[in-house]
Amino acid sequence: MAYGFEAKNDNGKVIINDTIENLHFVGKATHTNSYPGYGNFPNYSSSLDTLDGNTICYYNITCSGTPIVFIKPNDYSRWHGVIKQSVSGTTWTFYVMSSGTSTSNIPDLYCFVNANNAPSSSETYGMQVFKTDGSTKTFDSRKQPLAITGGANVISPSDPTNSSGLPGVTNNAAWNSATLDHDFRSSNRYNQYSDSNANTSNTMFSCPSLAQAVYSRVINGYKVSSSYPNDQEHWSTAWWWVMYRQAFRIRSGYFDSGWTNYQAGFWFNSRFDSGGWFNGGGGGYTSGNRPYDNKTINLQNSAYIIADSSRYD
Amino acid sequence: MSYGLSVFKTDGSLGFSTSDITWQTVAQFTVAANATVSNTYSEAAGMTVIVQRQLVNVPPSAQEDYAPNVTVSNNSQTITVAPQSGLSSAQCIVHVLAQDT
Repeated sequence: MAYGFEAKNDNGKVIINDTIENLHFVGKATHTNSYPGYGNFPNYSSSLDTLDGNTICYYNITCSGTPIVFIKPNDYSRWHGVIKQSVSGTTWTFYVMSSGTSTSNIPDLYCFVNANNAPSSSETYGMQVFKTDGSTKTFDSRKQPLAITGGANVISPSDPTNSSGLPGVTNNAAWNSATLDHDFRSSNRYNQYSDSNANTSNTMFSCPSLAQAVYSRVINGYKVSSSYPNDQEHWSTAWWWVMYRQAFRIRSGYFDSGWTNYQAGFWFNSRFDSGGWFNGGGGGYTSGNRPYDNKTINLQNSAYIIADSSRYD
Repeated sequence: MSYGLSVFKTDGSLGFSTSDITWQTVAQFTVAANATVSNTYSEAAGMTVIVQRQLVNVPPSAQEDYAPNVTVSNNSQTITVAPQSGLSSAQCIVHVLAQDT
């Protein structure tokens, strides 16, 4: 460089210059609501009913620029992911999903914006760096610049369900069969990435949840009753489905990329045709609609970043 | 430290120093559903670039929300965001972060 400002770290890498903006802490987003759900299949209460469950937490923050958010778990055993981000004016809303249905120990959300959109400061000393236009700020020591401690690319396994093998469709089971034989929890389904700087006291991470999956198990039942004047056929269908979102967990020395169930439902229908002395009829119940056919989408490498949250408390 | 730069907060605590590591932010922009956007940032030339994507309107109630693909090319200067092949794509917030190599 012929002029300007550039600072390199101990590894010789540029960490401040006058061409690219640093990220600066803008504040913790305000938690507004928590909605727990899907700790089990709705309207079903037999084998393998239990799911991981989730709690969707809403957060708001008002700031210029587009914030990058870091999740600081307050329960490091839970899985977390930012599943939605929207804006109205300059107020940003984040939906953060945590595994488990407890509304206690919800995560904190630390927000960072580019230097030029960082809030003004009344502090009268420190260091600011501007681009050559003289007005666009790239660094401001008063506004808590982001320092990271690690990161890499991660991806979740394609199958989010604990049971080995994919859930499928069984035909010709006994009529009214409705006993689930597939474990739809995700607690064992993750890829772990070694990261020596990950700890379960103050590590926070930034990694949006992109991947989604829908899996389902279908059992079709059937029987024929021989009776006068006609044989009578009976059909039943039991259909369990779960929609998952990619979620992440921090352990000491590891960053895990896995899944948490976002929605779930159970659909049951039992019917029989006219025959015998009684004519057709049946019954059933449903609990929500499956969002889309079974598949895993957006399963791509995602970059995660971790940092020390205590620097910004 | 015997050399380098340390900047302190008003209370005297360390705010940032040349012992730190960071990702700098090259750009943030929103890509509309099904759109293709290609932006070039000369200041990112030769740097390690990562691109974070955050979907805006998910989770869906009855649809498949595909995130657009991201391609980094031209010596890390050009960021192209485009729908996955043969698929629609959802509205997406894009953060371009860079680190000196």
